[in-house]
Amino acid sequence: MDDWLIAIIKVVGIWVWVLLIAVVMTWVERRGAALIQDRPGPNRAGPWGLFQPLADGIKLFTKEEIIPTKAQKLLYIIGPLLFSVPAFSAYAVVPFGDKIVLGGKEIILQVSDVNIGFLYILAIGSMAVYGVILGGWGSNNKYSILGGLRSTAQMVSYEVPLGLALLGIVFVYGTFSLRDISLAQQGTFLGFLPNWGIFKQPLGFILFIVAAYAEANRVPFDLPEAESEIVSGYHTEYGSMRLGLYLFGEYVNLVTISGIIVALYFGSWHMPYIDLGAYLGPISWGIVSFCIFFLKVSFFLWMFVWVRWTLPRFRYDQVMGLGWRGLIPLALFNIFITALFIQLTV
Amino acid sequence: MMSGFETIVMYLGMSLLVVILMLGGAYILGPSRPYAAKHSTYECGVPLLDPSRTRYDVKYFLVAILFLVFDLETILIYPLAVRYRELAAIGWGAFFEIFIFVGVLLAGLVYAIKKGAIEWD
Repeated sequence: MDDWLIAIIKVVGIWVWVLLIAVVMTWVERRGAALIQDRPGPNRAGPWGLFQPLADGIKLFTKEEIIPTKAQKLLYIIGPLLFSVPAFSAYAVVPFGDKIVLGGKEIILQVSDVNIGFLYILAIGSMAVYGVILGGWGSNNKYSILGGLRSTAQMVSYEVPLGLALLGIVFVYGTFSLRDISLAQQGTFLGFLPNWGIFKQPLGFILFIVAAYAEANRVPFDLPEAESEIVSGYHTEYGSMRLGLYLFGEYVNLVTISGIIVALYFGSWHMPYIDLGAYLGPISWGIVSFCIFFLKVSFFLWMFVWVRWTLPRFRYDQVMGLGWRGLIPLALFNIFITALFIQLTV
Repeated sequence: MMSGFETIVMYLGMSLLVVILMLGGAYILGPSRPYAAKHSTYECGVPLLDPSRTRYDVKYFLVAILFLVFDLETILIYPLAVRYRELAAIGWGAFFEIFIFVGVLLAGLVYAIKKGAIEWD
């Protein structure tokens, strides 16, 4: 019974926590854009415009829900649902800290440490395509259909290098569990580097982050919603909370991707060179490891904003060319090199 | 003893529940004042010019088919990757398996590119 209670607390707590980061992220994005473009940004609602996400939420809730007469009703309604549920659920296997001991009971700071964590992430990540294509097709608007098609082709194209880049990590650590991989990143590598995944898979990391940006439809891969060409892509016809779910799902995706990047490539909750866990008590270490993990995640979240307001958008043929001619051969090469390296050092 | 999958199911259930609550909340809170122009298809303010179900490029289908092939083959390497260290300790057999597998995959990719399957113009 105790296990169930802990599980419920973790599920609800982390679900809300991820959502909260995503909410704050919408504010960070707008303020960050303003900072980079040297303008004030949203500054009316609350101090520094901090209540802006709240105001946006209220507005989305109180807007009229429209189903266009030409839309295919079922697909139109089910689209945002199919997009947001997988996006909200993907964080379930990503850790958010080491472990905490409460009342003699060891609780790992991860919603669920299943032995197929990788496959869960890949499977859930692929589900988002359905929401995009069904929403775009169901809207029965040419901009939506074009956006949906573009998005689907892009997402499936970059899923291959994403999967292959993660494969490199599986080769190195020999497990699908994100917690085991995090634990294996303690200490130093070659005597002077932190024992992080990025130093063992440098090429894999670059491939992963590029593919992840494309999967999340972020600049420079935001062609599905290229405003200057196809209005706003697959969610042109959407309004109210249905639009909110699409936009919000993307921010939750960013949190998940940042969490995966930190857990796999940037040492998870480990500090470089210092093993803080050996000096701190079981409870304080739990809190500190959570904070370290969150700080690293924040950096990658900020990088999404940074990149968005720094790089221009690709052309569509460049996106597909980069995916199939650049990333996939490089990812295959990375697997080959990784396998060779392990074979020579084992 | 919990296997961990119950928690995942709970997490999925929580997502579904909250999404439905959000949609329901918007349904209850939002006004409903429909008229024909509001529900017409968006076309930058002008009357609809042509139907949206037009023909589109066959390239999208080609990419989808290529994706199926490559994603399946990626998944096929995963079981080998988990046990790779133990297999590598035995000898070079697993490495050559990977080498041949990746080589065939790469040959297929080169063929697809040469055939112009991902030529976007």
